[in-house]
Amino acid sequence: MNAVELAQALWLLLAALGLALSVSYAGLPVLGQGAFVAVGGVGTALLGPGGAGLPLGVAVLLAVVAGGVLGQLVALAASRLDGASLGLATWALAWLVYRALLAFPEVFGGAQGLVRTAPAHLVAPLLGTDLVLTPVVHVVLSGLLCLTAIAVLIRLGRGPGGSDLLALRQGPEVAAGLGIPVAARRRAVLTATASVGALSGAGTVVLLGLVAPADVSPLLSLQLFVAVLIGGAATWWGPVVGVALLTALPLALDVFPVDTERLSGLLTAGLLIAVLLIRRALRQAPHPSPGRTAAITLPPVARESIWRPSLLNAENVCVRFGSVRALEDVGIVLRGGQVHALIGPNGSGKTTLLRVLAGDLVPGSGVVTVGGRPLVEQGGPAARVRVGVVRTPQRTSVLRTTAMRQVAIGRRGGSRPRYAVLRHLLATPNAARAERSSEHVVHAALDCTDLLAAAEVDATTLTVAEQRRVQIARAVATGAEVLLLDEPAAGMSATERAHFADVVRRLAGNGLAVLLVEHDMRLVSDVADRVTVLAEGHVIATGSPVEVQADPEVRRAYLGTALA
Amino acid sequence: MLLQATISGLAAGAVFGLVAMGFTVVAGTVRVLHLAHGDVVVAGVLTAVVVVLGRTPVATQLSPPRALAFAVLVLASGAALAGLVGLLAVRPYLADATAGREADALGWLAGLVAAGLLLREGFGLLLPQEAYAVPDPLRLDAFTGVIALPGGGALPGRVPVVLALALLIGVGAERLLVQSRFGKALRAFADDPEAAALCGVAGRRIVVLAFACAGLLAGIAGLLDAPGRAFSVEDGVVLGFAGMAAALLGGLGSARGALLGGLAVGVLQAWVVQADGRYADVVPLALVVALLALRPRDRVSA
Repeated sequence: MNAVELAQALWLLLAALGLALSVSYAGLPVLGQGAFVAVGGVGTALLGPGGAGLPLGVAVLLAVVAGGVLGQLVALAASRLDGASLGLATWALAWLVYRALLAFPEVFGGAQGLVRTAPAHLVAPLLGTDLVLTPVVHVVLSGLLCLTAIAVLIRLGRGPGGSDLLALRQGPEVAAGLGIPVAARRRAVLTATASVGALSGAGTVVLLGLVAPADVSPLLSLQLFVAVLIGGAATWWGPVVGVALLTALPLALDVFPVDTERLSGLLTAGLLIAVLLIRRALRQAPHPSPGRTAAITLPPVARESIWRPSLLNAENVCVRFGSVRALEDVGIVLRGGQVHALIGPNGSGKTTLLRVLAGDLVPGSGVVTVGGRPLVEQGGPAARVRVGVVRTPQRTSVLRTTAMRQVAIGRRGGSRPRYAVLRHLLATPNAARAERSSEHVVHAALDCTDLLAAAEVDATTLTVAEQRRVQIARAVATGAEVLLLDEPAAGMSATERAHFADVVRRLAGNGLAVLLVEHDMRLVSDVADRVTVLAEGHVIATGSPVEVQADPEVRRAYLGTALA
Repeated sequence: MLLQATISGLAAGAVFGLVAMGFTVVAGTVRVLHLAHGDVVVAGVLTAVVVVLGRTPVATQLSPPRALAFAVLVLASGAALAGLVGLLAVRPYLADATAGREADALGWLAGLVAAGLLLREGFGLLLPQEAYAVPDPLRLDAFTGVIALPGGGALPGRVPVVLALALLIGVGAERLLVQSRFGKALRAFADDPEAAALCGVAGRRIVVLAFACAGLLAGIAGLLDAPGRAFSVEDGVVLGFAGMAAALLGGLGSARGALLGGLAVGVLQAWVVQADGRYADVVPLALVVALLALRPRDRVSA
């Protein structure tokens, strides 16, 4: 292998590392990295020396920016949470760019591509240097860029960016509920991937002096995708192994006498299938767990220092679904330090009220205020998390990772210092401080939900009761002042319920306002300070558990005679 | 001239509509974007070509029995190939409550792309020429006359026949999907797989059947589309994207919308091509990207 081939492979590796950020770190199915490589390559060839005649550095910079802008545009399609549309959009983009290059030969040189005499000089008049870009210089330059990319990927995984990426990869819905701005994070990730892809394309065209459609075809997109998928989730070595394989592929193909382009397509498909089968086997295999006795070496923290009392107030809330009156003139007050239970028969409007209080449903009339400000004015779920209202989902939905990392996602969602990811990458002193305070919050949240012993185990292997507490710990770590819990004790045994009641009391003791939707009257009378009873969309009683249980109307509508 | 472009655009669009209906059946039932659908259209036709005419096909008039065999083979292999794609490339990556498995969108996307690539490159090795003339078992080429249109321009006699047939089949298939037991089973599965299973709709089978149904529609589209032009292995990709554009335009849920969307995409493409022929492939591809980007956000997004 000579220097040109090595440099070419390293530029390709750079594109794969950029793609790894989206695919294996953020779990986004990007099937069109070739398109971004093409934009970088063609842009440099068209703008630079031999084209529009801009200085090489400027041309490369503009081409990279163009790639990044294209990535942003495609990310608009990623607003759906399933991510599948993003796969389709990037795959369509790969073909669009390829076919457009072929369709306009007078601009892009048709099947031959754009040939530019290799602009071998990088002139920097300010520094007074004139660097000749020999293949060896390319090897050094692309090698350094690849090492930088690997270093960034590794460091990213360890800081606040790691929490963001884990959230994107494993549970965008959960993450959105915890205040992580999922769509914005996806846009950032895709922009980075696209820019690095474009840089790789620019480097290749400067090296070879040629960019042909066949070199940036959808097949390249797929080969890069396969290369990235080889390593599985969140690994930097996957792309390295994958690109090594891809580089060896043409050498192996020379043995066969048939059309090599078709054969390399077939081989790519075969590789993709093989990688998919391995991936499937890995997903089904049980996760190794390091044992439940894993010790955590964080210092204990005074619990009271983190939270302060607060107030959520709903007045005259009415909700109608068509002609069904789900809620009629309902009011509720949640005070800091108080556990408020919401009970009522099925279909009485409990979950509807919970959605209204969480801001997920805008009532037809009535107003919900948090700390005196109307909730609806706060914006999306991320903004509502920041004002301190978090709702845990009714069904258990823990991510396939340790409780500690999930709670860290909650912390990340609740407090979003600007440019935290960038600061962490640059290791500013500020970032180290923020990291320590994050660790304190995570530790405190795990501590007050009695999860410290189970903190470093894959949460999907925990018991249902523990998983419910993970959900609550995540919500607590956002710094929430109002916790809305939808039937959190469903499926728990009697002992687990008693333990759960302790945890809820402890949260209230720390000053949180807790709203508990619950069917189990025993749990309610154990834990609640106040009870609101809903029936057919109306509040029929509010008071202490004892008062409510004695209320004849409540007995008629809900409790029945069983308790008498 | 505009009239000519519009009518041929409608004919091409009706074929896109059939492709889009297949895409919609899969998207609506299995909640999967069928990225290999266009390649199945081409593969169905080429399977029949290889079986009936061999690897060096000459465009001849087929005798009635061979024509029948050809037509049946196109439809059957379309359905069979699509069913296989659903079985092998998609079903392993769908959520399965009994096996405790979560859905893996990245898995089925990659599986479908791999399937499309395999079909394309496999048939490319079998049939190495750039393009082929595919025989017409329906004998639509019997309509040899050229229709002169008012305002200049002329239309091959085949075009209005293709338009009429494709629309007829499209409307019939739409009615079948709405009214038949099979269509109802598909919708029941789409609404709630578990509830459908309790009512006797076998979910694991429905996935394959939905794909096979899409493959059958793909076969019909291929049968109408392929004989009219130089047919290449590579045509599947853009045809598939045209179908996706049509399905997205039609709202990605209703077969009727897909059919209408197909007509719109066909006419738009024909008009653009009338102005500048180089945009033929660019139009459907750009439409898919644009429609995805402009789609209203329908679920939670932060």
